[in-house]
Amino acid sequence: MNNVVPTEQRAVSVIGLGNVFLGDDGFGPLAVETFRCQYECGPEVEVLDLGTPGLDMAPYLYGRDLVVIVDAVHSDSPSRAVSVFCEDEFASSRACLRITGHDPGLWDTLTHLRLADCGPTELIVVGAAPESCVFGDGPSAAMLNLAAEAAASIAQVLTRRGFPCIHRNVAPQPNLWWLPLGSMEGPSVPEVHVNA
Amino acid sequence: MARISIDPVTRIEGHLRIDVEVDGGTVNKAWASCTMWRGLETILRGRDAREGWVFAQRFCGVCTTVHGIASVRAVEDALALDIPPNAQYIRNLILIGHALHDHIVHFYHLSALDWVDVMSIPKADPARAASIAESSSSWQGNSRRELEAVQNKVKGIVAGGQLGIFSHGYWGHPAMRLSPEMNLILFAHYLQALEFQRKSCQVVAILGGKTPHIQNLAVGGVMNAINLNSLATMNMDRLGMLQAILEDLIPFVQQVFFVDTCLLAASYPEYFHYGRGVANYLAVPDLPLDARGTKFDLPGGVIMNGDLASVRSMENWKDEPFRKAITEDSTHAWYQGGGPVEPYKGETTPDYTDFKEDAKYTWVKAPRYNGSPMQVGPLANILVGYASGHALTRKWTNAAFDRISAVHGLKVVPNDMQSTMGRYLARAIRSAMLSELALEHLQLLTTNILNGDDTTYNAPQFPSGEIMGMGMHEAPRGALSHWVVINKGTFTNYQAVVPTTWNASPRDQNGVPGPYETSLIGNPVVDAEKPLEVLRTVHSFDPCMACSCHTLDATGKEIAQVKVQ
Repeated sequence: MNNVVPTEQRAVSVIGLGNVFLGDDGFGPLAVETFRCQYECGPEVEVLDLGTPGLDMAPYLYGRDLVVIVDAVHSDSPSRAVSVFCEDEFASSRACLRITGHDPGLWDTLTHLRLADCGPTELIVVGAAPESCVFGDGPSAAMLNLAAEAAASIAQVLTRRGFPCIHRNVAPQPNLWWLPLGSMEGPSVPEVHVNA
Repeated sequence: MARISIDPVTRIEGHLRIDVEVDGGTVNKAWASCTMWRGLETILRGRDAREGWVFAQRFCGVCTTVHGIASVRAVEDALALDIPPNAQYIRNLILIGHALHDHIVHFYHLSALDWVDVMSIPKADPARAASIAESSSSWQGNSRRELEAVQNKVKGIVAGGQLGIFSHGYWGHPAMRLSPEMNLILFAHYLQALEFQRKSCQVVAILGGKTPHIQNLAVGGVMNAINLNSLATMNMDRLGMLQAILEDLIPFVQQVFFVDTCLLAASYPEYFHYGRGVANYLAVPDLPLDARGTKFDLPGGVIMNGDLASVRSMENWKDEPFRKAITEDSTHAWYQGGGPVEPYKGETTPDYTDFKEDAKYTWVKAPRYNGSPMQVGPLANILVGYASGHALTRKWTNAAFDRISAVHGLKVVPNDMQSTMGRYLARAIRSAMLSELALEHLQLLTTNILNGDDTTYNAPQFPSGEIMGMGMHEAPRGALSHWVVINKGTFTNYQAVVPTTWNASPRDQNGVPGPYETSLIGNPVVDAEKPLEVLRTVHSFDPCMACSCHTLDATGKEIAQVKVQ
């Protein structure tokens, strides 16, 4: 989970977006950290928690073959489920997103990069509808339970495009440092599956 | 008289509402309201002081690094801890990389389209544009071929009617006055800037482990291991990589960003007369050069009432007048309490009341310096440096004045900098200075390592009683300070007085408004439905409100609006 290696060598960015201190808004960082722990990927895959970067997202999308954005998503998809969107599914609403104060800047960044001929070849969004974005409470139980499913969805997206992801037999504990004090020992920490 | 509410102000980081009353085509009253609660201070109470910087980086979604630095400096100040020179240089290089990234993004991607009319680009003559650009700068990316390629892209967008993120610009506004050729040049650089903001991030990531949210900080130094014989640590390869990136980045800063800002200033000279606002300036010293923090490459100080001759230099971070002068007032902020309180005793208990212009109307408190509002940011940084005779500041400021004069003969003097355009120009001047200092600090680090010093960390020891400390940083948006109270190694209070709190300050208990609010008074507004002139002045501060809740919206609900009553 570092970006010291020059980005020219990277093909894939898996990016978690969201404010980890605002409940379910932190679904993206939760899901990518779960993915990082549960799956082993090649060096061409970069897994990043970018928080709420706005237009500062550009360096992490620059010239990539594939970008997988993981975030809380308002959509017509069923609640308590992980959905996978392709870029075109957001296209009709881009003009409005341009002026939304809560927009993370993704579409502006993509437009800039594409005009400069250095946008990602493909962009996929893995998301789930937030239940509660309350300051300081950590993610809801529903979102915590969806983290492993989101990780599996990310792995499936990558594998289908020729970037193998191997499920670890023994997965390290995800580093969810932002959860409220004491909750790391409670049942709300996402389950890390260990295969026999 | 018209009342205009812009909510949210876009192309900023975070959430800001601006209300102005316009009479006879000019603004006569203004209110700035931050519409999201930060609240990180609450989370930090009870945490281990050694890990505070990890949380503090989440004060902001963009300037994560600056809060990490201010946090460790605050704890180190409380402990009177020396920082190894290697750690100071590594931190300084990270801060320079971050600031260059921030300033490039602000000028091109957050504010250029307030001045550049993208829709006029199809009318430009690329040959003439190339001639103008090549006569202004030796930059390689100004060829006719390059500019033609950009023009064709814009023509394609316009012809196809697929304006996308450019749909809502104030195109054709009478206050947009650049020629089609100048618009083409600046838009070409807008696209090229994407590559160079990326290089700035690489500097931060190589030293910080990752960015955003660097991982190498520690109370007492940095966690970068130095071993010239190891592939896994800071070695000559890593130092060479930094040198190569900086050598790519610096020409863009000095030959493009700096030049473009001077061209813009020469083209909109009236903006040296708008947006002065609060003329009290505060900058803090930064880029420390020794373990104790007694020598700095960037000067700090205070200027009152716009009088540059009144500058009081701040020699170091122990500056007692500064520590005693700072208070925060919650009279008009959505917090409990009212009048001024020193940061060590500050509270952030919310008390939301909806927007009430005569009572509480924002989540931002009102910081004061000896009871006065202060403007912070690159302009304060440059004015303090210029007034105190700082050689590097004078060199690049005078170079900017000469360049502006060479375009249309406009003579700019330091006092003209106290304006909307002065804030844009100061950011470019500061970037040119930082680009020069980047190579110097890399050389300092390399020389120190080659002299056999590989120390990067002094372990902190916490006493059992209560201690207090304050960490400063001259961040891209201005003076930042974190104030901590620690007992047995745990935070018992934590307050951050951030640059945008200074600039977006609401009125205080005496009804004295803050810099945003004051700077808008007297601004022209030609078209109340399209208050472009107001946005230019607000954007000149590079607002960065607390980054908060955001979600992607696949249904495309519009929440921004400009209301004219």
